[in-house]
Amino acid sequence: MSRAAAATEDIALEIRFGPLDLAQVRLRTLDPGAVLDELTGRVATAPRFFDRTAVGLDLSLLDKEPQPDELRAVVEAIRRAGMLPVGLVNGPPYVEAVARALELPTLAQFRPPTRPPPVLQAAPAAPAALPGAPSGASAGAPLPTPSAPVSAPSQPEPPALLHHQPVRSGQRLYARNKDLVVTAAVGAGAEVMADGCVHVYGPLRGRAMAGAHGDATARVFCQEFRAELVSVAGVFRVFETLPAELAGRPVQAWLEENDLRLAPIG
Amino acid sequence: MAEIIVVTSGKGGVGKTTTSASIACGLARRGKRVAVIDFDIGLRNLDLIMGCERRVVYDFVNVIHGECTLKQALIRDKRLDSLYVLAASQTRDKDALTADGVQRVLQELTDDGFDFILCDSPAGIEKGAHLAMYFADRAIVVVNPEVSSVRDSDRILGLLASKTKRAENGHGGVREHLLLTRYSPRRVATGEMMSVADVKEILGLDVVGVIPESADVLTASNAGMPVILNEQSIVARAYEDAVGRLLGETIPLRYIEEPKKGFFARLFGG
Repeated sequence: MSRAAAATEDIALEIRFGPLDLAQVRLRTLDPGAVLDELTGRVATAPRFFDRTAVGLDLSLLDKEPQPDELRAVVEAIRRAGMLPVGLVNGPPYVEAVARALELPTLAQFRPPTRPPPVLQAAPAAPAALPGAPSGASAGAPLPTPSAPVSAPSQPEPPALLHHQPVRSGQRLYARNKDLVVTAAVGAGAEVMADGCVHVYGPLRGRAMAGAHGDATARVFCQEFRAELVSVAGVFRVFETLPAELAGRPVQAWLEENDLRLAPIG
Repeated sequence: MAEIIVVTSGKGGVGKTTTSASIACGLARRGKRVAVIDFDIGLRNLDLIMGCERRVVYDFVNVIHGECTLKQALIRDKRLDSLYVLAASQTRDKDALTADGVQRVLQELTDDGFDFILCDSPAGIEKGAHLAMYFADRAIVVVNPEVSSVRDSDRILGLLASKTKRAENGHGGVREHLLLTRYSPRRVATGEMMSVADVKEILGLDVVGVIPESADVLTASNAGMPVILNEQSIVARAYEDAVGRLLGETIPLRYIEEPKKGFFARLFGG
């Protein structure tokens, strides 16, 4: 057996990098009792959803720097409620030191999801339509309502970056932390990009890049496919010739196990 | 209130100067007071096309640098007395232009009662082209029915929509018009050349005119007489139609169909 083959078989592990979907718990108090009460109530409303879910702790709303012991008590309370804290979200300058003391990693300030995550209330409330919330978000999940201090963004963000003029050759559009919707043509030599999805209600003749920061669930949609290049989360394909089944038709592109797929819509 | 019209394209050699000269003459012929300015510093040719190259004493750069007055630099056309030409410098280059200087000259022309100021842009997207379009109210984007010209014009349309004073102030942007030049209905019919519809589809704009390909254009440049003044030429008539449309008239497009050969022409191979 060659040395190389032997070496491969002896390797104990592999390291891979990829995006991680993580909920964040934004603390407003360091009172472990209050935290435990609040979280226990939430987990109870949807135990399968919240139980043993990995969470990052966001300390940016605290009015004073927490001592490691104080934070340890809160972390313990969160575990008792059924969630699993896996790290501290980077933000205020003391986070690094406190994280070390607790032997937890610091997590990058991750972007809020393109749609507000479902927020559950202890008591059922009248369903309110949340702008941008997907109508069938997940089968059986309670209707999303914005109110609780934990995990919903404090201001509702506009659902997408909207652009109603033709995107001309040489122009670039980038929708940070949201979807991009273009209701006109995207010219050859133009680039349209988004951290979320890219929707072109018109001919797409240039380049379209969705999931620009690594969101592998993002998609590209267009009404008339004539693209030069399409990319999702960095996985791209160049179209020297347009495949007959896609050319000029409404098409969507998505990632399936790191493979870029394209298909006519409908 | 003067209307500033930039004649631009992105691509070189598509007919900007030919168009600037003819449109300027067409407007002057209808009694408008018109100034046409060459922004192609160092590669001037508007004066050649207008036939006044031997009367250039002072030029655009001289005026900007205060070396002469605007009146001294403006050359009155011999054929149309409400038409004036401001030639570019041949010895200097685009760096001699300043946004401030250009604005002052345009303001002085406006104050002087001009109805239209045409800015003949150089090719490209750099300083000369940028300054020619920056202060414009309207743009005539000259396009050949050919892929690289269309691509460059798309780029220029993007710049008109973003890097002009009107775009920056949010005053509704520059009014954009497409002018298709060197159009050959015969080649469109055989599928060799893009059609008016093809260009409209890619650029998303209606055309303000279609100028047919013709040997008359070369003849006109050689003679220093803008082609619109050649009564016999279909190019002249097409430019006249374009001038009418710019002034708001509704005129159907001509010279976009292959002329049908008459019986005798077909019989005797016309």
